[in-house]
Amino acid sequence: MNILSLIVFLPIISAIFLFFIRKNVALVKIVYILVTLAVLYLCVILYIDFDPNDSMQFIVMHQWIVEYGINYHLGVDGVSLGIVMMNAIIMPLIAIGLYKRRDNSGYWINLLFVQGGVMGAVLSLDLMLFYLFWELMLLPIFFMLGLFGYARSNYIAMKFNLYTIFGSLLMLIAILYIAVIHKEEFGFYSFDLNNLKNIKLSSLESILAFSGFMLAFGIKIPIFPFHTWLSDTYRSAPTGIVIVMSALMAKLGVYSIWRFLFTLFNETSHMLAPYFIGIGLFGLIYFGISAMNQSHLKRMFAFSSASHLSLIVVGFFIYDIYGLIGSSYLIVAHALSSAALFLMVGIMFERTGTYSINELGGIALVAPRFALFFAFFALSIVGIPSTAGFVAELLIIVGAFKYNIYVGFISAITILIAMLFMFKMISKVLYGQLSPHTKEFTDLRLHELLALIPLALLILAMGIFPNYFIKKIKPTASFCSVEGQCYVK
Amino acid sequence: MSNEFIALAIPALLLFTAIFILLFGLSPYYTKARAYYISLISLFISLVLVVFSIDEVHSTLVAIDIFNFMIIYDTFSATFMTLFLLGAFLTLAIAKSFIYNSEYFSFESFVLLLFSLFGMVILSMANELLTAFIALEISSMSVYILVGLNRHSLRAAEAFFKYLVLGSFAASIYLLGLILIFAQVKSTNILVISQYISISDLNSQLLVIAGGLLIMVTILFKIAAVPFGAWVIDVYEGASLPITSYMAGVFKIAVFSFALRFFLLDYITFNDIFNPLILGGAVVTMFVGSLLAVVQTSVKKMLAASSVVHSGYLLIAFASIQNGMIYSASSIIFYLFAYFISAIGAFGVLSYISTSDDKIIRLENLNGLAKEHPLISASLTIFLLSLAGFPSTIGFIGKFYIFTSAIEAGYTFFAILGALSAFISIYYYFKVIVHMYFKDSNGSRVEYGYKISFSFIILCAMIVLWGGVGTSLLLNIPAIDALNDLSKNAIESLYH
Repeated sequence: MNILSLIVFLPIISAIFLFFIRKNVALVKIVYILVTLAVLYLCVILYIDFDPNDSMQFIVMHQWIVEYGINYHLGVDGVSLGIVMMNAIIMPLIAIGLYKRRDNSGYWINLLFVQGGVMGAVLSLDLMLFYLFWELMLLPIFFMLGLFGYARSNYIAMKFNLYTIFGSLLMLIAILYIAVIHKEEFGFYSFDLNNLKNIKLSSLESILAFSGFMLAFGIKIPIFPFHTWLSDTYRSAPTGIVIVMSALMAKLGVYSIWRFLFTLFNETSHMLAPYFIGIGLFGLIYFGISAMNQSHLKRMFAFSSASHLSLIVVGFFIYDIYGLIGSSYLIVAHALSSAALFLMVGIMFERTGTYSINELGGIALVAPRFALFFAFFALSIVGIPSTAGFVAELLIIVGAFKYNIYVGFISAITILIAMLFMFKMISKVLYGQLSPHTKEFTDLRLHELLALIPLALLILAMGIFPNYFIKKIKPTASFCSVEGQCYVK
Repeated sequence: MSNEFIALAIPALLLFTAIFILLFGLSPYYTKARAYYISLISLFISLVLVVFSIDEVHSTLVAIDIFNFMIIYDTFSATFMTLFLLGAFLTLAIAKSFIYNSEYFSFESFVLLLFSLFGMVILSMANELLTAFIALEISSMSVYILVGLNRHSLRAAEAFFKYLVLGSFAASIYLLGLILIFAQVKSTNILVISQYISISDLNSQLLVIAGGLLIMVTILFKIAAVPFGAWVIDVYEGASLPITSYMAGVFKIAVFSFALRFFLLDYITFNDIFNPLILGGAVVTMFVGSLLAVVQTSVKKMLAASSVVHSGYLLIAFASIQNGMIYSASSIIFYLFAYFISAIGAFGVLSYISTSDDKIIRLENLNGLAKEHPLISASLTIFLLSLAGFPSTIGFIGKFYIFTSAIEAGYTFFAILGALSAFISIYYYFKVIVHMYFKDSNGSRVEYGYKISFSFIILCAMIVLWGGVGTSLLLNIPAIDALNDLSKNAIESLYH
């Protein structure tokens, strides 16, 4: 069996089996950790075997629905490798970090489903297969929002669900439309990315199909006008799902722009790029300012994530090798930092019972280790030198300056804005007077440290030795930007 | 076994079983349980008989010297007969506890069910409009009475009466259409009409077109398309759950089997005239149906209203059939199968958890179901997801085919409208899931029903999932491709 199929289906099949032993929560947790570690092991093998001089690798291809040319087609390249790796790294750490909590087996079963769904969506090179995983991933998130969410969770789960499915359905029509065009031009149906990229669309058709896709991706990321589900959902979601949403789901949206839109509608993407750079830059500043005004910790991080995701979108749409590498690097870097931060926010909530920034304070006095890690991860999101975020943001900003000096200037501002709200938050949460909520704050426990240290080390390693990581992305990125068209072998 | 034998044996078997139960039903030896098992067994035998003849393309005019070109047995009718028999079998098998516990479900109910199946089987083989009419009326009459089974319920009486009056009225319109066609063609044989249409000019086709429109009205009435489907919510609600499931799952398919044969063979050349009507009807049906489904608080009514929406999708597919692209008709058969198995499953779960009393299952009654009966609520979730067209279920593949053929026929706009209506349907189907999983239970629950019903529900859920992701690569079980081939063979055999 191909290693990619294993990575996708091991979590899904284990989740189905776990459904039948869900009575025994301790066992479920152990199996969860074992399965995610096994996936991590497979991914590490994948990473080591990945040939840095080549683009698409480990391809597996079978016919699935013959009549309509739908294939089971998986493959990994430099950009998707990053997402696969961070997915594999983050998932076991959630369980380790939250080991003492969440005595509900549904939580872990759904997380396994999400992992498989995200892996499948990232690796699939067939549009129908991609759509399958893209939607499938939604279901466990919906269940977790409803089952374990806080405050009006039913309403929020439903709203999130409807919002994202609306985008997906229009994407489905766009997918079907280009498949029918393919049939008209070549005489047979195909949903394979390799075949579909050859079709010729009139510019109107192309823009419409592009918008169908972009709507789905834009809602998931979210980019500017589609963000209204964001703050409620993040506030209500349980820690595991917040991590999944900010670290995996949103990144999947950006990745899909790169993988599908740039491959299928190369000319249209080029043509529309200035608008999306504009939307991205606006979102960057708008979300940054929104983040400054939040008093709810999770909402603040939600907006800060959205701000950085807008930067990633800008990085992709400037169509420059620096921008591409920087964006795919930032995908991983930001995912690691935000996963760690949301995990720590979850830990903090467990001890203080509040998310409100104003009710916290003085944690550094009672919990120095916690304060150290918290400040480190917060600053790594801002992108201080020697963290991964710095390398990524620097690359994007260099690319942006090459594109246009104003764009470069505005995207450089993002670091400043991020700095502002992060320092404000750090000073209020970690320093100052002890509040009644933080008096009894206990420092990080062993299993929590165990979850956070690998993330911290990885962020440092990615910040100090970027070359080792970038060399895996570079062939994919240069392939794309030099020839002007992305290739899927 | 020759095909002719199968074509004669199945209606005969159903008819004789019905008459047998009718004759001996009053004797104390033949209790309700025996009648139940006798009908199940006869359904199973006919199912086994018919399954053997669906895998190849064939077409036989049955016993010409007796029936005079009126009955045709081809892969098309074999496929549909399989669906009817399977549907009736599953409905009965799942509803075991319901049937045992409700007093009004006497042995006559099985007789009526078998009679209606007999009518449907003939309907799917009818090669002639009058035969089709008689077959349709046999099954409709039986279904009317089945709706009104519960004599003590006012709702059932109302539903029965409404359905009877409106149904008979719709049937008379069919007769009028038939007369118009006969006046011009001098025959009611579907093949003869088709020949007439192909050789005559438009001027001498006017009555044929008018007659076809009238027959279409009746068909739209039977599949509950708006504006002819005003009866549907009351009737589905008044009927007891297994009967509702039978009507939504099986009876509707029977009407479609006739509509497909009639329109594919005769009226395919007129689709310029018919398509605007069908498409307009489809849009109205989808959105009015969605509106009705959104406002319901009873799960059964919601499913009833959503079955209207599914008729709307099917009408879009109907309009997408064009000359030379008749294979897109196979997407209809696939969708019918997808809808059929999911609807039978969903209604089956409802009848399984409502056991006997005919109480209305409101959304609140499902609160906390997932904690007490995880497998049952998981299967209901699967059926609802399939009805909503969520990927990895058979319902998604069905919608995928329908939308693809609509886009291919140039109706992209209508595919988008279909997607919008699918979006609305996400809301009302997920509302049920929200109640099952996220709300706390408000009362103690009893153990439900029989193991056999339960196992058939699980079987349906498995089929729904396998139909959504299945591949012949993995296990040697027929999957999406096989179903596709079946529906294509069925369409091909019409032109054999």
